[in-house]
Amino acid sequence: MTGNESLAPSDNPSGGSAGHSSVSGSNTGHQGVSPRKKIEVFSLLGVVLIAFGLPLIMTSPTYLHIVILIFFYAYLTTSWNMVGGFAGVLPLGHAVFVGIGAYTSTILSLQYGISPWLGMIVGGVIAMGTGVLIGLPTFKMRGAYFALATIAFAEGVRVMVENLNFLGPFNLNGPRGLQIPPVNFGFANFMFQGKEPYYYIILIMLIGVILLTWFISRSKLGYYLNAGGEEPEAAMALGVNVARAKLIAMAMSSFLTALAGTFYAQFSLFIHPKSIISLDLSFEIAFIALIGGRGSIAGPLLGALLLRPVSDFSRIYFGDVFPGLHLVIFGVVLILVMIYQPRGIQEPLTRVYNRLINRLTKEGQAKEAS
Amino acid sequence: MKILEVEKMVMRFGGLTAVDTLNLNIDQGEILGLIGPNGAGKSTAFNCIAGVHPPTEGTIKFNGENTNQQKPWDLCKKGLARTFQIVKPFASKSVLYNVTVGAFATTDKRADAEDKALAVLQTLNFEDKKELKSGSLTIADRKRLEIARALATEPKLLLLDEVMAGLRPGEVDEMVGIIQGLRDSGITIFVIEHIMRAIMALSDRIVVIQFGKKIAEGTPGEIASNENVIKAYLGEEYGTA
Repeated sequence: MTGNESLAPSDNPSGGSAGHSSVSGSNTGHQGVSPRKKIEVFSLLGVVLIAFGLPLIMTSPTYLHIVILIFFYAYLTTSWNMVGGFAGVLPLGHAVFVGIGAYTSTILSLQYGISPWLGMIVGGVIAMGTGVLIGLPTFKMRGAYFALATIAFAEGVRVMVENLNFLGPFNLNGPRGLQIPPVNFGFANFMFQGKEPYYYIILIMLIGVILLTWFISRSKLGYYLNAGGEEPEAAMALGVNVARAKLIAMAMSSFLTALAGTFYAQFSLFIHPKSIISLDLSFEIAFIALIGGRGSIAGPLLGALLLRPVSDFSRIYFGDVFPGLHLVIFGVVLILVMIYQPRGIQEPLTRVYNRLINRLTKEGQAKEAS
Repeated sequence: MKILEVEKMVMRFGGLTAVDTLNLNIDQGEILGLIGPNGAGKSTAFNCIAGVHPPTEGTIKFNGENTNQQKPWDLCKKGLARTFQIVKPFASKSVLYNVTVGAFATTDKRADAEDKALAVLQTLNFEDKKELKSGSLTIADRKRLEIARALATEPKLLLLDEVMAGLRPGEVDEMVGIIQGLRDSGITIFVIEHIMRAIMALSDRIVVIQFGKKIAEGTPGEIASNENVIKAYLGEEYGTA
């Protein structure tokens, strides 16, 4: 008798209830979708509203400047992430695209009077061509070799620009760089007296590029990039032309990066090779991505939010005593993150966020039920 | 109708001849087994047929078309899928994500691809694990994932490279059942396997290679009693047993 009794309940959990629990689990998941989505949409709207309202509250130009640079770096890193994150390679020469964008639009506007808005697109297209030309031979390389090749190319371009006063008819002005005289303010000239218009321009650019990344990550291209980045041979056998997917990502990434170059030129009104085609800039983009979380959508934004203030404040407070301290801090943070959170700070934050939302939705459901 | 015709295929890597004037063909709807000792060139032959290496000499025809120079991704879209001996899951992604990558071979829409991936997972009794990270799967499930991804590309010919190695006997029987089910659904199957019990039960015909050369071809019964095969591969005990 006792044997039978012990058999009966032990049979049930192994067969029936395993299936049951999974079914009920997926059921609650489905019901949970709508309040969860609601919370997500509302919090997203809230963040966007705060972002748009920020200049009304934050009137100090210094702080606004810092926030603009945060968005600028978040934009650059999100663009970088299409190749460096999704495609699983490590490009370390993206400053070259920033430089192409900045120089193209600035030369076109200084020498030919063409609006920087138009120059921005021209710069983007030139950068896109350059990106594809870099990608064609280098995407066959693996790991560090690809990174080294991109560094070499970017440094080559920087040295070339530093040593050229004229490239054909275009005045590069060598190491002295180009200055944009602050006259003819207005939207058509992409030049403003206050910082607010720059703030809104980079904010809209940032939202645009994040939306694009989100869209790509859910598309065939995103799946193909991820697959090709993780296991190229398996991906090829499943119908993925890995090299082509990477080239498409590189083309988009370099185009978008160059747009930020034009923004930077118009924002600072002064560009020179050391500031804009420098390895420092290329590395900083990669740092932000690695710390924030490569290959995730929120990673670049989180990384920029964390690291840019560190960089700016260490420059403000220690700049005289300890120049370059921000790079040391970057290094320390990078080492700590790589040891404890190799997928970047987005992973623990996502976990906390999910737990929070789950608690909120559960409470919401409980309230609805009662 | 022959779905695959391989004629006098030679594959050399430098001075090493991995596959030597190999002839073989597969009928539509057939299960062909390929066996041989380690290093005989079985996986190399698969790689040539799947487009990873173009063969040094000879011709490969898939569906009557010469595919010597075609790339793996083009062949995949024409209906030739394969699994890897050493499994290669997209480890940081879920099972469903992995299979959806394969399903994108025939559609551009994510919703369609996911639906198809789910249908494939259902036919393999794999649906309950769709949310698991593929890197955390057991070896048996990883092998099953290899097949699921390949199936999601809607193949006409499926190359299976040792999908049963490392499985427990019960799991081998289940896999044999799955493969027979695939053939019944109209897919032609070319399978490399070391587990004799499985390959004898599955195959309509078996090709045996050694040092890249074909040494025997025939029904499982003929192969089991072939003296060359017993000497080269099966061993004396198998012949007497």
